[in-house]
Amino acid sequence: MDITMIIWMIVAAIGAVVIFTIIGFIPGTDETSVLLPISLAVVLAGVPAAIVLTFFIASIVTLNITNSMPTALVGLPGGVMSSPMIEHSLYIKNEGRSAMIIKKIAASAVLGIAISIPISLVLANLLIPLAETIRPYGAYLFIAGAIFLSLISKNKILSLLAIIPLALMFQGLRFLYKGLDLVPENKTITVSFFLGITIGPLIVSLFSLLNKKILEQEKVDDFNKIVIPKEDLENTSVNPFKILTKEEKKKASIGALIVNFLFVLSPVGLTILFGNALNNRTKKPLDKASGSITTMSSIIQATYISGIIIPLLALGIPLSPVALGPGAALFNAPPVIDFENNLHHILTGFEFTVAVLIGATIALVITYFLIVKYARKITYIILKKVPHESVLGLFIAFILLLAYMDAGLINIFGVIMIGLLSGSLNKLGVNYGVQFMALYAAPLLIEILAKVV
Amino acid sequence: MKRALIKIWGDVVDAMELVFSILIISTTTMGLYFLAPQSDTLPLGLFFGLGGAIIGFIITIFLFKPKRIVTYEEEE
Repeated sequence: MDITMIIWMIVAAIGAVVIFTIIGFIPGTDETSVLLPISLAVVLAGVPAAIVLTFFIASIVTLNITNSMPTALVGLPGGVMSSPMIEHSLYIKNEGRSAMIIKKIAASAVLGIAISIPISLVLANLLIPLAETIRPYGAYLFIAGAIFLSLISKNKILSLLAIIPLALMFQGLRFLYKGLDLVPENKTITVSFFLGITIGPLIVSLFSLLNKKILEQEKVDDFNKIVIPKEDLENTSVNPFKILTKEEKKKASIGALIVNFLFVLSPVGLTILFGNALNNRTKKPLDKASGSITTMSSIIQATYISGIIIPLLALGIPLSPVALGPGAALFNAPPVIDFENNLHHILTGFEFTVAVLIGATIALVITYFLIVKYARKITYIILKKVPHESVLGLFIAFILLLAYMDAGLINIFGVIMIGLLSGSLNKLGVNYGVQFMALYAAPLLIEILAKVV
Repeated sequence: MKRALIKIWGDVVDAMELVFSILIISTTTMGLYFLAPQSDTLPLGLFFGLGGAIIGFIITIFLFKPKRIVTYEEEE
């Protein structure tokens, strides 16, 4: 690792900050749907592994902070992870303290990252010996993972029942394409399939608008009215440790610490669980709301950091919801990387650590000061200038491109088909984690099923 | 024709403008993808396609306006 490499890592981190600051402020953009395609493009472009990792870490750090901004300022969740904050931020908004809470969110994110990076690295290193013994069973692990994620999800039986039909669809398409000679014998299509899963809910929403009855129900009379709250004139400090109260610092730290050990569980679930549990006994409503949001902000960062670092460094197999969803491209993005040769195999422990540290530090420093100084202004400009139509159009075009690149015109319809089934299952309550696991488990699962007469 | 405002993915869009945005950005994306020269070393198709996506995105930003009324809270 030389100086040029480090300079490129810094450039990549800054690039990630710019992209995800803009995306983060746009309300409603789901983390998996934005992180996966963009990191996938970076991997497929042939960017060196260390720079990919720096880029990805900078992306998640930035996105998780900026996503909370529309949540805190205008009450629209920036993404899935900030939805647990909505109730509390609406309370704070009504009290007229939104400007105070955005600084606390940023400060608490600093805490969450500072705690989770060292702990995740240590945990990953402790798990490496164990990883050697379980790696040969990788393919079985995915089946076990799909079942495990179903059993801990809200809709257990529904999720379990969804696994085989999903696997059948994926393998069905793969065999069809091979039968039609659309893809070479040794190529397994994965990229456009997981994009199909990701974009599923959006595809279902768009298709349902073609039904006149649903269209009528979804119609609204007026534009979205958004008021950006006042500047905070009380606490003008930019020092993250002076922005949080002692109690908030304590809870944010405990939360960030615990979730590292639970990296196989759903990030949003952990955020809701510990964000509320740690603040249940606070009496004053304003303190409770503010405490919950700051705790959540540090937990969100810690779930993402540990969810990507631990499976990637210890195992090279995506065994956490973060690794399966937003971080999937770091594990498997054929033809550039696959389960036998991904970031886990390419990077040494030292390179891995440097990449993580550079990505997180650069993203934190820039995002932190941007937020503390200009959160209101950025929110205003983005909400005023970037139409939602353009954002949706961009994602559709992106999926189209990658679907075509994988297996030609027919695969565009293949991806739409996946989107329709995955999106419908998603709306019924089968989460992304189960669906991604089903995709990885599909080859072995169908092979086993075929043998059972 | 009266414009149809619809709520999708957490925000309000105009149905026709959404259709046009998807068409415009898809056209620029796929158009540039097919224009990309052949290369054995670099995934030029992907680069050109992504470039096309960004061009389309910028075009639609100028063509269409967000369906949001954004104001600052009164400063006292």
